[in-house]
Amino acid sequence: MKNDQIEKGETNRRKFLKLGLLTSVTAIASTSIITNLAAQEEEKEATGEVIRLLTPDGKIVEVNASNMNKYPEALITPEESRIGIPDRKFVMVIDLAKCKNARKCVESCQKEHKLDDHEEFMKVQLIQNNKESKPYWFPKPCFHCDEPPCVTVCPTGATFKRDDGIVLIDNERCIGCKFCITSCPYSARQFNWGHKDKFDDKSVPYSPETQVPAAEGTVMKCDFCPDLLRQGLLPHCAQACPEGVIYFGDKNEDLVTNGQETFSFSKLINDRGGYRHLEHLGTQPNVYYLPAVDRLYPVESGFEDLDEEIIDRYKNVPYVQDLKKQGKI
Amino acid sequence: MKSNLYNHTFFISIIVALLVNINCIAQQNDASNYRTRFGFKTVKQADNSRLLEVSFIALNKEDRKDKPPVYGAEIQFFNILNDEEILLGSSKTSQEGIAQLILPENQKYSTDGEGYINLRARFNSTDALSEEEADLMVKDLHLDLNLAEIDSVKTVTLTAFTIDSLGFKTPASYVYLTTYVKAMFSKKIINEGSISDGAYTFTMPQSFAGNPKGNLTIVSIVDDNDEYGNIIQEKTVHWGTFNKPLKQDKNMLWTKAAPIWMYVVLTILLLGIWVNYVYTIANLFKIKKDGDNLSSEPKKNYSVN
Amino acid sequence: MELNNRKRELVKEFSPMLEKTSLLTKIWIGTLISIISVGIYAFVIQFKEGHIVTGMRDNVVWGLYIVNFIFFVCLSYSGAFISGILHFFRTPWKNSVTRIVEIITVLSITIGPIFILLCIGRLDRLYYLFLYPRIQSPITWDIIAIITDLVGCFIYLYLTFIPDFAILRDSPDLKLPGWRKKLYKYLAINFQDTPDQRKRLHKTTSIMSKMVIAMALVAYTVLAWIFSLTLQPGWNSTIFAPDFIVAGLYSGVSVIIIAMYLIRKYFKLEKYIVKSHFIMAAMVLLVLSLLLGYFTFSDYFAKWFSHKVADTDLLHTLFGHYFWQFILANYIGFAIPLVILSIKKLRTIKLITFAALIAVIALWLNRYLIVVPTLETPYLPIQDTREEFIHYTATWIEWSLSFAGIAAFFLFFTLLIKFIPIISMSGIIEDERRQIKANKKANKSISSK
Repeated sequence: MKNDQIEKGETNRRKFLKLGLLTSVTAIASTSIITNLAAQEEEKEATGEVIRLLTPDGKIVEVNASNMNKYPEALITPEESRIGIPDRKFVMVIDLAKCKNARKCVESCQKEHKLDDHEEFMKVQLIQNNKESKPYWFPKPCFHCDEPPCVTVCPTGATFKRDDGIVLIDNERCIGCKFCITSCPYSARQFNWGHKDKFDDKSVPYSPETQVPAAEGTVMKCDFCPDLLRQGLLPHCAQACPEGVIYFGDKNEDLVTNGQETFSFSKLINDRGGYRHLEHLGTQPNVYYLPAVDRLYPVESGFEDLDEEIIDRYKNVPYVQDLKKQGKI
Repeated sequence: MKSNLYNHTFFISIIVALLVNINCIAQQNDASNYRTRFGFKTVKQADNSRLLEVSFIALNKEDRKDKPPVYGAEIQFFNILNDEEILLGSSKTSQEGIAQLILPENQKYSTDGEGYINLRARFNSTDALSEEEADLMVKDLHLDLNLAEIDSVKTVTLTAFTIDSLGFKTPASYVYLTTYVKAMFSKKIINEGSISDGAYTFTMPQSFAGNPKGNLTIVSIVDDNDEYGNIIQEKTVHWGTFNKPLKQDKNMLWTKAAPIWMYVVLTILLLGIWVNYVYTIANLFKIKKDGDNLSSEPKKNYSVN
Repeated sequence: MELNNRKRELVKEFSPMLEKTSLLTKIWIGTLISIISVGIYAFVIQFKEGHIVTGMRDNVVWGLYIVNFIFFVCLSYSGAFISGILHFFRTPWKNSVTRIVEIITVLSITIGPIFILLCIGRLDRLYYLFLYPRIQSPITWDIIAIITDLVGCFIYLYLTFIPDFAILRDSPDLKLPGWRKKLYKYLAINFQDTPDQRKRLHKTTSIMSKMVIAMALVAYTVLAWIFSLTLQPGWNSTIFAPDFIVAGLYSGVSVIIIAMYLIRKYFKLEKYIVKSHFIMAAMVLLVLSLLLGYFTFSDYFAKWFSHKVADTDLLHTLFGHYFWQFILANYIGFAIPLVILSIKKLRTIKLITFAALIAVIALWLNRYLIVVPTLETPYLPIQDTREEFIHYTATWIEWSLSFAGIAAFFLFFTLLIKFIPIISMSGIIEDERRQIKANKKANKSISSK
């Protein structure tokens, strides 16, 4: 009898222990899940440009990135933006031998100018010069030509060429006639066709040097990031490129840099055979290209980890069609 | 006995659950999930002041990409002599986790027997973070950058020496340094080499444009030398060959002012046409006036020729 | 005295057109108004939502609106050109058509610029064109040209209306509401048909007619330059300005033929608009079709023969994606009028009008093929996956606004016909006056012998 009672007691204890363990595990699990969800909620709210910092008390705080005073104190108004940075002549050199279509330039530019997914100030095209040569990846910003056809045809002077060589657009003057878009032979300009919510964000005052916030019914394009240039920093695309493809500098100083190496601009162009695209059109662009000679990467490496949709963009290039036939893409 | 055990298990499980819960919640905000990196370096700057810099960053043990800097931590800087700490100053870390203290050129340091300045940076522990301390030893090297045109060749001369406690100058050797020319966004290397016997000379390899005033800034940097730490020396010299473009094209198709002939042609055309319109309208008014005059006269039965 | 009677006769003859509105006209006006209302609704949608509701996207940024703009403006300029030239002829037959031509001129130059306004992204900033103009821009030249031409054509039209208003004002037989009679009186600016007034009016009209010819040439050249002064393949062609002028005349004459046919048929004006009008217009159309075919052929043949890459791409697009439009516009559009108009037996009024209709449609397509395919084949390939960014397809909003524009053209034409006789009464009087004078001179010379 006693044994039965003890056994019963033991079974009861075991049962209860199991029950207790189950309860506590469920309690832990559920509260953890809830806490994690709550934390995720918090994380979702704190999107945008925040920086995480650890305080000496051991707390993680998130600070607005803009609190870090990235932008110079003085806002450059549309009138002021027509005068360039004095005594400079900005020029960009893109090394086609090193480009592997990492698209970091495209993405960082989109992030900083608050562009949507398909809006690209810097486009990466795949150009095949002729059937015998292999195609190469061709990053194409606005060329900021010295004899810009876009500036010539603007009826209100909304787009203008500054003394430092940069061509900007004043969204408060643009009437949206789109003559400049038809006039650019390099297809560098884009139009804001409809209203987007991001246009209503008035937290940062508008400046043609940042093009944020953009406006409906106006034109926008690559601007060589003058707000960074005024701080002595390279444009976003040049900073973001993992291969150092994009060199930027002042032609007056005759020095261009990609952040790691600095070269004499004239020597670079002379030694590497730098050229400008569609030179015969007479627009005098300010972006020079170094030919895709002695390439660092084969052109196919540009297709690795690439979205299907982006690969589809290049379906008209003969080399891509061959690759598709061979099943390599 | 039975009830006690039951009670115990029940309460223990609750307590365990709570404890684990607290840890779950705190996992997001607790410094214990991070280990810290405390870096200390010194740079002798171009004006011969000495910069002491501490970099205090926390690294998430699990997430390699999460590296929040420690913000607002008070760092104290000491000069150590024979285990005695002389406080040089303190500063708080910035939002990038950098704490800096700049000591002027005439700051007196106590050096040890071999002539090294012993420096220490310390972060006193808090409840959440443990104490951090870093030491370094640096010899004070005097680096001079001289730019001169010798025999019409632009020459750069670097001299380096240390001054011992008695005031004697000893030339330094085996100090590797790199010399650059400053540009708007970066610096261009013009020379690299080692100082031997206190001096190093080279000529400018090419001409540079410089800034619009024709001034070049040349920087010589000793980078992370075992004995002397980091040293920067910088000088500006009027060696630039900047040629400002003589005339900015003013009246082109793409400038604010149009070519003059456009203004002329447009004015002539428009004046010609619109003057004609005005003339036409004036004629219409004349016709009206004639008609008014006519109707004020008695009406005749005139035959129309 | 005779002429006064003659005036009354003419008024009696034409007054039914002014006084009555038949049921058919009412239905016609009603249909036009409903088409225009759909267009206005489409415009409101476009104004609120932005240009995203159209088919235009980042590569083809100019679509149906610009095509319609060019088309209407070319009608207008050709009308101005023709009416200016007609003014020099002092023959009776010109009276029947001058007013038709002048009304076409003025109406097209009013409706054309509306299409440009539809293409502007920020209509709320339109006045910047006058506040901050840049005279290096071909668009500024175009605005100046259009405004100048608009004012000029209105003045010219008004000058031709004045004597007719005077006749209408003086006639007691008109059964019109009082406000209309008052309007005629006011607009006639007390023109009493005195020799002095006539002389002054003639002088002014002469000068204006010469000016209008010159303006039409210059203004349409400027419009052609909007395209040919850019660098784009297909647009940067030296033949653009002459091609546009001839094309404008081609479509203008065709529209005049169609208008003559409709007016003649509906208002039973067979007495005034006779076959010789059509034959003459057909001759002009024949010459123009040959000329335009020649220009178009030169342009594309040179592109094909020298086969530059950019030109070849353009030709591939034209003969690929736009094959049927190209055939209709540039082959059939010239061939059919050519055949019909060159064979004497085929030159009946009906067939001439049919040829003119084909010509108008072909020319509209021709304008479309000038604007859109070039934008679809830029120098740097469009590497995009979104179909609307690669090929242009106009949306219902653009089509409805196009039809609304055409409907507005017809509507105002109809309303103007009801306001003033479509045959220039004062012109007829003028001719008869000249005839009387010539007879008197002949009689005098006979009697003196």
